[in-house]
Amino acid sequence: MRPQIVLRYVAFVFLLNAAFLLISAVISGFNSDEAFFPLFYSFLVTGLFAVFPLIFVPPAVEISNKEGLIIVITSWFFSCLVGVMPYVLWGGEFTFTNAWFESVSGYTTTGSSILTNVEALPLGLLFWRSATHWIGGIGIIIFVLAILPPMGVSRIILYRAEMSNQALHNFRLRAGRAVQILLSVYVGLTVLETLALLLCGMNLFDAVTHSFATVATGGFSPKNASIAYYQNLSVEIVVMIFMVLSGMHFGLLFAVIAGKVHDLWRSPVVRYYLLALGAGIIMTTIIVHGGHVRSWTEALRYSAFQIVSIGTSTGFATTDSSVWPALAQLLLIFFTLQCACAGSTSGGIKVDRIVIFAKSILRNIKQIQHPRAVMATKMGEVKLDDATVHFSILFISLYIGIVFISALLLAALGVDALSAFSGSAATMGNVGPGLGTVGSVSNFAHIPSLGKWILTATMLLGRLEIYGLIIFFMAETWR
Amino acid sequence: MGLRAKILIGFLILSSMLLIAGVWSIHELSTIGTSVQKLLDDNYRSINAAKMMMEALEREDSATLLLLLGNWEEGRKIMNDADTLFQKGLQIAENNITEPDEAAFVELIRSKYSVYEELLKKPIVGTNKEGNIRWYFQGIHTAFLDVRNSVEKLMALNDQAMYETASDLKSRASRAIMPGIVAIVVAVFFSLMFSYLVNYYVVGPIIRITRGIEDFGKSGKPFDVRVETNDEIEELASAVYSLSSKVRMAEKVK
Repeated sequence: MRPQIVLRYVAFVFLLNAAFLLISAVISGFNSDEAFFPLFYSFLVTGLFAVFPLIFVPPAVEISNKEGLIIVITSWFFSCLVGVMPYVLWGGEFTFTNAWFESVSGYTTTGSSILTNVEALPLGLLFWRSATHWIGGIGIIIFVLAILPPMGVSRIILYRAEMSNQALHNFRLRAGRAVQILLSVYVGLTVLETLALLLCGMNLFDAVTHSFATVATGGFSPKNASIAYYQNLSVEIVVMIFMVLSGMHFGLLFAVIAGKVHDLWRSPVVRYYLLALGAGIIMTTIIVHGGHVRSWTEALRYSAFQIVSIGTSTGFATTDSSVWPALAQLLLIFFTLQCACAGSTSGGIKVDRIVIFAKSILRNIKQIQHPRAVMATKMGEVKLDDATVHFSILFISLYIGIVFISALLLAALGVDALSAFSGSAATMGNVGPGLGTVGSVSNFAHIPSLGKWILTATMLLGRLEIYGLIIFFMAETWR
Repeated sequence: MGLRAKILIGFLILSSMLLIAGVWSIHELSTIGTSVQKLLDDNYRSINAAKMMMEALEREDSATLLLLLGNWEEGRKIMNDADTLFQKGLQIAENNITEPDEAAFVELIRSKYSVYEELLKKPIVGTNKEGNIRWYFQGIHTAFLDVRNSVEKLMALNDQAMYETASDLKSRASRAIMPGIVAIVVAVFFSLMFSYLVNYYVVGPIIRITRGIEDFGKSGKPFDVRVETNDEIEELASAVYSLSSKVRMAEKVK
């Protein structure tokens, strides 16, 4: 392992963060708000940290797989540290623990917050908070790869280290082309949503910050009441459409733009994803109707938004789902665990693995019925090898295991069982709001400090899909 | 980029980070000073004025009771002194309108006090009011409580504003400290990174060049030290390499 090479690549990540800090500082300067100095100083420090390794360390054409993994993990870690800086320099509700929680929640696109009054923050800091979503949404390294000049093998290694294993499996393209597609879809969706929200009557700042949070499936809103603040059906519909799109595989979206609309419907994953959301909306509408929500249209409106928001791991809210009947809450927990498609900005177990899991169960049942038959698990026309199936099942087991351990630790710290479990699932899936005291209209401010550190660890584990972070901490990686 | 420039940039970065943090801390501390002054000027003065008015009102109430008991001389003397004190406090409050709605509160005090004053001006001693406790409670005491309540409102307004300014001060104090803490942490990280890079790209190659020269001198082992730093160290390695090649060539010719 060559630390200097890791430093050089992480420097590009610092540069990317510095650019967004500068934009935030400019916004702050234009509004003459008090966040200018915290943002500008953070920009200077981050920028200087970026420039120095680039001066000293000559470029390296080739990097090893281990170095690639370390670059990706350290990039996430240092980005989260950079994110802490403007918050602690600003003060207010931000202690170091709170700032770390908010920063990790931003970069991992979780969207859980410790802020009791979001609207008290200056605009510059609110923009930075949303920008952390947008930087983290597509993967920090993917951004850097798009900016960097061609680097041969290094690009492939970094791309593989950053992307989810499942997304890699689906994205059968050259790394350079895949990065281009990912970024063009990501930027395209953001621009389109901003324009659509402007047409719905939102101001430019709110439109941009909400687009950042939607396309990254993050969930930070500059308003205390989230999307409910606007009480505008057209805004809710636009946000819902873009949440659903952002939860789909970006390669498929690109194919649709390129005219291959049938690719979308041929994909069993997308079919299941849309069917599951549809079924979830219908069931929740029926469950919540008659209780807190009297009319069918309102029940449909609230259910559709909450299910899409949780089912895509975004986390925006239009109502307080923690007062919904238990069955509706269980449905929300299911979507919190499942989330959307691999190759999107979504977190969670991912629909692809759920489909593989279900198909492997069906195959096993058939195998029991016909012991001599030779059967394979298929995803559409593609035959999946046993290793992929086993890996998916193992991932799901490990994922749920970590959620349980995290929930147990939170409960041991005095957090009630519902909040502990839903909070752990919501942070592990990078969803944001849970249920109970950490519901859609609440926040994580009251969680004990140690609990906040546990939850940030689950956010990172979820974002880096468990194995990446575990391998990073194994001694062998550093030899 | 040359070695000198690289090292200079390293130190410049370090010192600029500390300098900016220092300037910012000074700026925040001077803002704290301004806030403290604002706190004293805006709110503390109004609170003092309100206290002065409260004190005057209490004295006027005592004077009223003395008058009710028939003690005209002492009662009137206390009453006049207290009225002067009240007017003084009211004037200070009127000249120190710094909070929203404060003017309305002061105006309320003035109007309530004029009602109270009107009642106090009328003779008590030697009239049917002397010793009349019912008159005191139904008439003058109600007016007294009205003025007192309006003064309390002014005091509460300034108390709240003072609390908010003090909270802001706490936040500003934290903002004045944080740049220093961040600068120290960042400087430690930067120093570690700087010393690692200097060690890897300056000290390390120099040691390798030295060993290469020693090996060449002792055993004639060819000088083969590769340095890729794009600076004077790389030039040095290249120069030593060409020198060693020339020496080897010269030895071969001999």
